[in-house]
Amino acid sequence: MLWEQGLLDMQAEGRLSGFYHAGRGQEGVQVGAIAALRPQDYLLYAHRGCGYMVARGMPMDVLYADFLGYREGSTRGLGAGIVHIAWPELGILGQSGTLGGSFPIAVGAALSARAHKSDAVTLCFFGDGTANRGTFHEAANAASVWRLPVVWLCENNGLAVSARFEDTCSVRSIADRAAGYGMPGVVVDGQDAAAVYKVVVEAVDRARSGGGPTLIEALTCRFRGHYEGDAQEYRDRGELEQLRRERDPLDVVVKQLRAALPDADAQMELVRSRVAAEVTMSAAKALTGSAPDKDRVFQYVYA
Amino acid sequence: MPRTITYTQAITEALAEELERDPTMIYLGEDIGFGGVFGLSKGLQARFGKDRVIDTPISESLIVGAGVGAAITGTRTVAELQFADFVAVAMDEVYNKAAKWRYMHGGQFKVPLVILAPEGAMGGAGPEHSQCPEALFWSAPGLYVVTPSTPADMKGLLKAAIRDDNPVLVMPHKALLNVSGEVPDGDHVVPLGQAALCREGRDVTVVAWSVMVPKALKAASTLAQEGIEIEILDPRGIRPFDFDRIIESVSRTGRLVIVHEAPVVGGPGAEVAAVVAERALMYLEAPIRRVGALDVPIPQSALLEQAVIPQVDDIVMAVRACMSGVTT
Repeated sequence: MLWEQGLLDMQAEGRLSGFYHAGRGQEGVQVGAIAALRPQDYLLYAHRGCGYMVARGMPMDVLYADFLGYREGSTRGLGAGIVHIAWPELGILGQSGTLGGSFPIAVGAALSARAHKSDAVTLCFFGDGTANRGTFHEAANAASVWRLPVVWLCENNGLAVSARFEDTCSVRSIADRAAGYGMPGVVVDGQDAAAVYKVVVEAVDRARSGGGPTLIEALTCRFRGHYEGDAQEYRDRGELEQLRRERDPLDVVVKQLRAALPDADAQMELVRSRVAAEVTMSAAKALTGSAPDKDRVFQYVYA
Repeated sequence: MPRTITYTQAITEALAEELERDPTMIYLGEDIGFGGVFGLSKGLQARFGKDRVIDTPISESLIVGAGVGAAITGTRTVAELQFADFVAVAMDEVYNKAAKWRYMHGGQFKVPLVILAPEGAMGGAGPEHSQCPEALFWSAPGLYVVTPSTPADMKGLLKAAIRDDNPVLVMPHKALLNVSGEVPDGDHVVPLGQAALCREGRDVTVVAWSVMVPKALKAASTLAQEGIEIEILDPRGIRPFDFDRIIESVSRTGRLVIVHEAPVVGGPGAEVAAVVAERALMYLEAPIRRVGALDVPIPQSALLEQAVIPQVDDIVMAVRACMSGVTT
C-alpha cells in the first residue's frame, strides 16, 4: 500500500511510462499467499498491483525503476508497467501480457521442477475475468492429470475490467470449477491475509508432497479503477464506498493484531514507519536512475 | 562413414541423441508415447520414460506454453505440434510467449525451446493440415524458423535447434518423411541460419527450401538440357536468413527465382524479394520471380492439392521467363 502510494505520487508528477493497474484492496490475498512460499518456489503474478513482488522481497527501487522505464529496472530499461517485471532469483517468472497466457507457463515451470527433481511449487495468480480463458481449461486439466505441484489462485474481485462477475461467469464460484479438473476447490476471504495464508499453506504442502494442484478462490475487492484514470462509470459509487469502509484488508489485519497483542498499535507504528522510510528511500534511489539509449531496443531479442 | 537413413529416422535419431545428452531435457506432444502419427518418436518413451517423453492432452496452447514455462526455468524442451497448421491454435504461445518472453522480461530468461511441427501438403490432408506457415513468423523477432530439406539437414538442424538457447520452430516437411539420404556419423550438427549450396550454376539463382529443394533439383536437369544452369541455394529456414549468401549469388547470376510451397501472396518469399531489391537491385538483369502455391486454401482432394502447390514445371517455367524476359 505504501509502495503503491509512492508510485501513484510519481504518476501524479507525470514521471511514469505506461499504465498502472492499482492493487489497493487486494493486498491481503497477495501478501497472505506469498508468505506461504519457500525460496525455491515459482511465482506467476497477476496484474493487480505489485503486492506480489513486494511480498516476495523484490527490491522496491527496482520495481519503481521498471515503471519509470529506467535501466535500473528488472527489465533493464525496457519498461514493465506490472506486466513484465521479473526476478528469477526469487522465482518471479514474469507475466503474460495476454491474460491467461500464464496458465500453461505455470504447468511448464512445474514440469521443470519435476525434470530437475526439485520440490519447487508454482503459485499462479489470476483474476476472475482471466478464469474464463480457454488456457485455464488446458492447463488445469494437464496439471491435475500429471499431479503437478501447482497452486491456482484466483483473486475474485467481482469485476473483469468493467464486466460484472455474475454477468460473465457460468458458476457462482470459480472454486466450483475445481471438481471438473479433479482437484480440491477452496473459497477463502481474500481480505483476511491470515486466512489466505492458512489455505495456501495447505495447498502448497499438498502440491509439494505429490498431492497435485488446488484451486483457491480468494474473494476480494478492487478499490480503484482498472487502470489509473479509469472513471469507473460502470460501478455503483455507494457500493464502492461501502467496500472501502467495510472490506479493507488493512483494517482486518489491524483488528486481528489488536486482539492478539497488547501493544499492537505501538508495534504496528514501528513497522509502518520503518517500511515508510524504506519506501521513501527506494523511491528516491529509483529517481536517480536513467532511461536507456534508443539502442536498448536491440538488446535481448535473442540469447 | 555416412549412413543412408530416412528423414523420419533423422528426426528420431536427433531427439534420441539430445535426450541422451541432456538428462533433464523433456519432449512433449500428442501421441508421441506410441511413436507419433508420423513415427517421429518411435521407441523414445520406452527408452527415456514417461516423465521425459510426455504424452499430452489435445491441448496445443498447453503444449507450447508449458514448453515456454519449462524452458525459462532451465529445462531444454521439445514441444511437438502434430501439424504445423496448429500454430494457429497455439499462436499466442508461439508468437507472443515463446518469441517474446526473453525480450519483454529484460533478457533475464533464456528460452531453450524447440517447437517441432511437421508442415506441408501430402496426400490430401486438407486446408487445415497441409499448410506451410513460415511467413507468419517473419514478424516474430525472437523466434528462429527452420525448414530442413534433406535427412542430413533434418538431423543436424534439429540437434542445433535443441541445443540453442532461443526458441526454434522446426518444421519438417511431411512429403519428405520417407525420403532417404546420407547422414554423417557422429555428432552431426548443422548451424542455424547458413544457406546451403545445393547446385552451382551461372545463370539464375534459385532460392528454394524444404520440399522445393528436390523439386528445384529436378527442374535444374530439365533446364540444363536447354543450356540454362541454375544455382540452387537452400536458406534452411527463414530466421535467421542468410541474405549475404543469397545476394552474393545474385551478384554473379543477375537473376533470382524464389521457390516455396507456401502461397506466393503473403508468402515468405515476399520479404526475400524485398530485401534483395533493396540491397542488390543493381545486380538484377530481370525482375525477381516467385513460385509458390495459388492464392486459395489447400483443397482436401489429393489431386487438387497438387494443382495448388508448385510443381517442377512451375519452377522450369519461372526460370525460363526469368531468362527470356530481358535482353543482356
